[in-house]
Amino acid sequence: MRWVPLALMMLIGAGSLLFDLTLASRLPSDADWAEAAGALRARGQAGDAVQVWPPWAERARLFVDALPLVLEEDLAQADYLGVQRLWILSLPRAPRFAAPDDALRSRGATPAAEAQRFGALSLRAWDLHPAPLAADLTRATEDHEVDYLPRRCLRLAIGSRFAARGAGRTLHLRAGVIGERAYDADRPAVEVQAFADGAPAGVLEIPRTERDGTGWRRLEVALPALPATSAPEAFDSVRDFVFAVSSADASRPFCLAAWTTR
Amino acid sequence: MKRLARTMGFCTAAALALTQAEVGFVRDEGYYFTAAQSYEEWLRLLLHAPLQAIAQTERYWSYNFEHPGLTKLLFAASHLVFSTWLKLLPDALAWRLPAFAFAGLLSYWLCILGSSRSRAAGVLAPLLFWCAERTFFHGHLAAFDVPICALWAGVGVAWLGAARRLEEGRPEEGRPQASGLRPQIWFALIYGVALAVKHNAWFLPPVLLVHALLLPREQRTAALKTLPWMLLSPVVLFAAWPLLWHEPVRHLGDWIAFHTHHVHYAWWYLGQVLRAPPFPIVYPLVVDALALPLPLVALLAAAGASLLTGFALRKLEAQRLLELGLAGAALLPFLLTTTPIFGGLKHWLAFVALLTPEAAALLVRATELVPWPRSRALALGAAAALLPGVWQILHLHPYGTSAYGELAGGVPGAASLGMQRQYWSNNVTAVLPWLNAHCPQGARIFFHEVNIESYRTYILSGMLRPDLRYAPAPEAADYAALQWHREFRDREPETWNAFGTRRPATGLYLDEVPQIVVYARPGLPGAP
Repeated sequence: MRWVPLALMMLIGAGSLLFDLTLASRLPSDADWAEAAGALRARGQAGDAVQVWPPWAERARLFVDALPLVLEEDLAQADYLGVQRLWILSLPRAPRFAAPDDALRSRGATPAAEAQRFGALSLRAWDLHPAPLAADLTRATEDHEVDYLPRRCLRLAIGSRFAARGAGRTLHLRAGVIGERAYDADRPAVEVQAFADGAPAGVLEIPRTERDGTGWRRLEVALPALPATSAPEAFDSVRDFVFAVSSADASRPFCLAAWTTR
Repeated sequence: MKRLARTMGFCTAAALALTQAEVGFVRDEGYYFTAAQSYEEWLRLLLHAPLQAIAQTERYWSYNFEHPGLTKLLFAASHLVFSTWLKLLPDALAWRLPAFAFAGLLSYWLCILGSSRSRAAGVLAPLLFWCAERTFFHGHLAAFDVPICALWAGVGVAWLGAARRLEEGRPEEGRPQASGLRPQIWFALIYGVALAVKHNAWFLPPVLLVHALLLPREQRTAALKTLPWMLLSPVVLFAAWPLLWHEPVRHLGDWIAFHTHHVHYAWWYLGQVLRAPPFPIVYPLVVDALALPLPLVALLAAAGASLLTGFALRKLEAQRLLELGLAGAALLPFLLTTTPIFGGLKHWLAFVALLTPEAAALLVRATELVPWPRSRALALGAAAALLPGVWQILHLHPYGTSAYGELAGGVPGAASLGMQRQYWSNNVTAVLPWLNAHCPQGARIFFHEVNIESYRTYILSGMLRPDLRYAPAPEAADYAALQWHREFRDREPETWNAFGTRRPATGLYLDEVPQIVVYARPGLPGAP
């Protein structure tokens, strides 16, 4: 028993030092990143994107130049708009690493290949099996931060309307207040009313964000088949969409993304 | 004992002075440097036209009214002597010099407290405090956190000395004592200095009162007789803060109101950005556990448990009881769930500091239990306790606000946990050489959280080219040096939109975790 306190201290000290001194070996080197980027350059196709995991491993941006790079934090819910195949570029030996496989499988994704190792990096392609994109209605070219992630969305003034045309059987709406203004206390909700061919299709309410992870609001609307046509052609006809943004507080920066799938 | 303590204090100040050049200027330092420049002007006026200086305190001292004057006055005086007059030291080092003196005093007082247990504990107590990148980093800053931490310990030592003198009529050998000055006056002076350093000192009188009331009867009487000496302390506050020389009530009111209505800055903690009360009650303990080296965390936990057990069993003598009280009082405001929590553990450094004497004593006791030669056991125990912290400093200095310990999984583990990545913008020093090398003449740089005061100091100290301009937003910039803050994530997409690229030019990545990300407009030198 007399040994216990010092032995415990030495065990903690030695264990800590072992962790500290071996940390670098569990993280990728520049060469690892460059090799992985080279593999993506060689094997990437149109419709592919790279998801870095854990999402803080943004140093990938310095190396990955062939494919769009995304840093979603919730792999089960992320939209990955227009992405057929997702390359997971991960750091599996990093401390507190949680494998992304379960989250990807929960959304119906399946591995498209075995994982390939580049030193401390792992690269694996996943088929997302997404519903085919019919129309990107907002066609945003800029990114805005909503709920702490960059979102490809269209900045709209509150009180404005946005019109777009497109086919599809399901309308997908995403919206949120940009930046920290989403957390402003005692502010009224923002509302997006969606109309398809003049008829109300759905309403997306964006209340003040109270908890991180809830600021990027979602709405999926099954669109009714057009009259006088038969399925599936009914959904190939182009519709006129209008999105009306309203709130009692018109000062907040607001962002909308809308698309349809078949 | 005092010789050893003086040596520890001197070594601490010297170590900090020798390692300060790389430490970036934190946001608050920018304000304090500006304040020190204003106060230096006042000092020069005081030397040439004293009456005029006394009449014009408002003009020179109203900047940074929210903090008392003493430390900033010392920064100013140090700069006046060592930089302006003697031209011996660069500006930043001259301003920071008094902070190193306070850090030395902290080591001195921790050594005094530790030495009352054993000589080895006297050496280990300050070493335990400083062998962690977080504490080591804060020791470098011309700020108030380490000075008030030092005074927290200093008031404790002076209080024990004064109360003991009254109780026994003479100082006891081997116990903490005050200097040759009359201990009661020394105690009043030290508390006055604490008051003149930071408002944390407001919490000390209740701690000392409770400490006095919990002492055995004879000691209690002596301690209660010591307390009234604190009534002299505001004289120091008044003397060291010329802003109070005119309309003191208004200025005192402004000072108090600033801190009782302090804003809450956003702070990332276990995956959630905390913005407003109520904050998690365990927040400060979790931050300590994750940010400090694991052996230190274990020793502090053991020290806390030891002191609390002693308290519960009524076995704590006056000094250990006071250490428990002072450590608890440093932490208590942050357990209330309403006190602003930004700034990480810098706000409760005294909690760590006041536990180190007990932690050191426990470590020494553990080495005495084994049947090895004492020096060998002590060396092994000290190495186990200190080396991970030394490694943390070697590995992460000068990026102290980014440091996380082994329990968190280091910097990457903390990033996965969703902990505050950094604060205060000082990490930007890592990319200044790149900016100096690549930016064309007169380039505009968006420095994000680096305030204009710190930007000017980087130029003044030669760390940044003087032709590089300060841009207010990415849209108005050629280059952007973004600090990765969860609550400021909007700045990165803004930069992408403005620059038309998502690919950084360079950055500071600690163990792969982004801290500073630099973007350049395509076509400019350095752009990918």
